[in-house]
Amino acid sequence: MHANQLPSRSPGRLKFTDDGATAAAPSALAALARGAGFFGFWLLLARPGTDAPSTPDLAADLVVGLLAAAAATWVSLRLLPPARKGLHFGALARFAVHFIRQSMVAGVDVARRAFDPRLPLNPGYLAYPVRLAPGTGRAAFGAVTSLMPGTLPVGTAADGALIYHCLDVDQPVAAGLARDEALLARVRGNGGGCR
Amino acid sequence: MSLALDLFTIVAVTLGAIFFLAGTVGLLRFPDTLTRLHALTKADNLGLGLVVLGLLPQTTAPFGWIGLIAVWLLALLSGATVGQLLAEAVRPPEWDQTRTPAASPDVPPNAPEASSHD
Repeated sequence: MHANQLPSRSPGRLKFTDDGATAAAPSALAALARGAGFFGFWLLLARPGTDAPSTPDLAADLVVGLLAAAAATWVSLRLLPPARKGLHFGALARFAVHFIRQSMVAGVDVARRAFDPRLPLNPGYLAYPVRLAPGTGRAAFGAVTSLMPGTLPVGTAADGALIYHCLDVDQPVAAGLARDEALLARVRGNGGGCR
Repeated sequence: MSLALDLFTIVAVTLGAIFFLAGTVGLLRFPDTLTRLHALTKADNLGLGLVVLGLLPQTTAPFGWIGLIAVWLLALLSGATVGQLLAEAVRPPEWDQTRTPAASPDVPPNAPEASSHD
């Protein structure tokens, strides 16, 4: 779904993922960190040993968890090679607040339209010239905006603009998208969001 | 205290169920696949969020909380991804004909309607 061009400074990371970015030392570190993260997540969800505290069962559970974490790490390194870019956690918190608030607006908006006997819809398309570079940033933007009020990305036009299907084209859709984009760009450390 | 938390659970989970119902009503009433995708993704996001929020007092902190919130985030991620993939798969041929003349995001689309709703 996403083009694998990560906006990164080191030229070695601009290549596609198929030729394996697993050789270098930073990649090994990234693999270790991701594997630990996946295994921790698995422990959290599966909670091995809470029902039947017998040692062989627990060991078998942990083997399954380790295998699952290894597989997840392998897939994640192929699909999303490690990038140097850090996240800004203050901006992430602001974005989370915005996201939760807009999720409520979106849910209430769609529920209101669904329950209204007159079914007030005014669907149409909108081309949004997205400024986030192709790659994870744009993929995240597409995912986030598909949950925002009244917008659903349906594809990328020839000139690189994202085409949105809108529930109601009379709403200020583009302004909302621009705000989402600016907030998301700050999370990724792109200053004002305009590249 | 426990009664207040139980009431909170009942209220939040009921609200969540109402939003799931809204998503289903939208799925049945909205005129085409793309508008139906709107109904499902948005309403279910909020509905599941409210159900998770309501269940938080019934589990043990912190691991039960993290697990519940992780379920919500995973459902969000898969909903957002699958929603886009489905939208791409079912988009009608006129999806790409709405060129904005300039690269200004504020130009309203003057395109023909994608779908004829009543």
